[in-house]
Amino acid sequence: MIPEITEIFSSELPVGETLRIQRARFTPEKPDADAKRISIVSGIHGDELEGQLVIYLLAAWLRDHPEALRGTVDLYPAVNSLGVDTIIRGFPLYEIDLNRAFPGARNDFLPAQVVHALAEDVEGSDIAIDIHSSNIFLREIPQIRINKEFSEATLPLAKELNCDFIWVHDAVTVLEATFSHTMNARGTKTLVVEMGVGMRLTKAYGRQLLHGILNLMQQEGIIETPTAFKVRESFTSEVGDVFYINAPAAGLFVPALDHCDVIETGQWIGDIVDPLSGTVRESLYAPNGGVLFTLREYPVVYEGSLLARIFGVNDEKN
Amino acid sequence: MKKIEILKLESLSRAPMLVEGYLFEGNDPEAPSVAIVGAMEGATTLPLYSASKLVDFLRNKLGTGKILGDILVIPSVNHYALNINERFWPLDKTNINMMFPGYGLGETTQRIAHKLFEAIRGYDYGIVLETRSDLATCLPYVKLYKTGYEDIESARRLGLRIIHHREPESIETVSLQYNWQLWDSKACSIVCPHQPLIDPESARIILDSLINFLNNSGIIRYETFNGYDSTVVTRERIEVVQSPHSGIFIPTKKPGMTVSKDETIGKIVHALEGEVVHRFLAPCDGMITCTYMHSLIFENAVAYRIAKIH
Repeated sequence: MIPEITEIFSSELPVGETLRIQRARFTPEKPDADAKRISIVSGIHGDELEGQLVIYLLAAWLRDHPEALRGTVDLYPAVNSLGVDTIIRGFPLYEIDLNRAFPGARNDFLPAQVVHALAEDVEGSDIAIDIHSSNIFLREIPQIRINKEFSEATLPLAKELNCDFIWVHDAVTVLEATFSHTMNARGTKTLVVEMGVGMRLTKAYGRQLLHGILNLMQQEGIIETPTAFKVRESFTSEVGDVFYINAPAAGLFVPALDHCDVIETGQWIGDIVDPLSGTVRESLYAPNGGVLFTLREYPVVYEGSLLARIFGVNDEKN
Repeated sequence: MKKIEILKLESLSRAPMLVEGYLFEGNDPEAPSVAIVGAMEGATTLPLYSASKLVDFLRNKLGTGKILGDILVIPSVNHYALNINERFWPLDKTNINMMFPGYGLGETTQRIAHKLFEAIRGYDYGIVLETRSDLATCLPYVKLYKTGYEDIESARRLGLRIIHHREPESIETVSLQYNWQLWDSKACSIVCPHQPLIDPESARIILDSLINFLNNSGIIRYETFNGYDSTVVTRERIEVVQSPHSGIFIPTKKPGMTVSKDETIGKIVHALEGEVVHRFLAPCDGMITCTYMHSLIFENAVAYRIAKIH
């Protein structure tokens, strides 16, 4: 099966090049009238590449299993295509975070036109998944971020995605400028995946999420295959708390634990050291037991830099 | 005048960043107070320069006994970015002006915002010196968010030609001006042009507007020239002119110039072949408020914004 490739946005660049944002559409030969449509989006941040791998794996699976397809699958691997190819998180030159520019407008500045084109193109999908890789500073386990405002519709879908953690967060006005808020407000059930780390690929996570997407598509009737995609049971933020560990001082953070470790209250997490003097500026200990689901990857820190997040319950026996 | 420490931040290898405010205490307890915040970003210098020139004016030129109300000027909150020409916080590229009201236990720029906000809360008036977030330069103008707490009257006292009075975007609900208004200060922003080098004319306009504000608000006593009777412009009155082609952008009219409908205001030259591929004509009578600020322009980029004459 060969997907139909469409440019959903293009703009001439000043010197002999065209900025283009592309979509690959997989459709069955004879689609059902009531078949669903799913859109998978990645690369809204140019330094996040985990979604590229997931989309590659999904496209390859669809090519290999044309007989399974019942609905429409739209793939947008690189929304910030200029940024992806140049290791720039925001929209190059403008330094705009595209995920703070939705819904955008046709007659606004260029980043706003790009996100407007994406939102217009995805509109009408039954489901959308926006894949992020944290950033270059933090490593994350595969997790779904859900705005409480839309959780009734999206939480059941999130549980099908084979992720480890589902984080339901409060509605915040500033997040209304995100892709997920915009699409959820327009009736597309939209989930945000965060996993891995910026500028890198985590192959195991890519396969894990692929498995979850295939499972969700099967549950929603977008694919039909005898394969059973058994998925893990995610833990959700509703049964516990997220504990933040921010750097109390500047320095070089040297972790003492591995990402994803299950830890106990008071366990040593790492040190902030000063290479010049050979001293430890601060030692960090877990404020609560639980899963170390976020761990700093980039070691240079200022006061306040996020070092780790733990998900746990106050009664650790649970 | 006394210097007060607003915040101090250590770094792994760089010398600590000490952010200081210049506090000029007034001699009239009944007079209103004002805080003025300069550079929160590091890629442009007019907010920094304007604030520092105000410090110079108040300290060396105004003369003794003429400061009635308290004035706090903080020329820079982001030395680390300014010193390496980075726009945002150098490590994680977050924008301090999207972190308000701040959080003392949060991430680095949330903590910076928190400490800054603690220092400037409670002033009667607040002025933020900032630049546009898009790739545009502009005439110096006042940006005033509609929050229900905004005060057009005090914004007029700056005497700038235009007050852009508009609803905040959702991301602007975490800006300094927005939160300052919510916390009971009459706050507005002076939007400064983006310039690689200081343009003395723009700098003079901004400094004069600050001095006008202080004088017209009864914060200083100083005989000066009046500014403009500001025109309040809403979003509906701004005409956007987009570039139908990419190439080399050559504006022939600058921000602040009035134009007539169909007047030539710029052109685009093909970047490789040198031909003029487009001439921009003004779509209406009005004043150019902003122009695209780079020589190389994308297709469909916003080349001009023009405040229409009704």
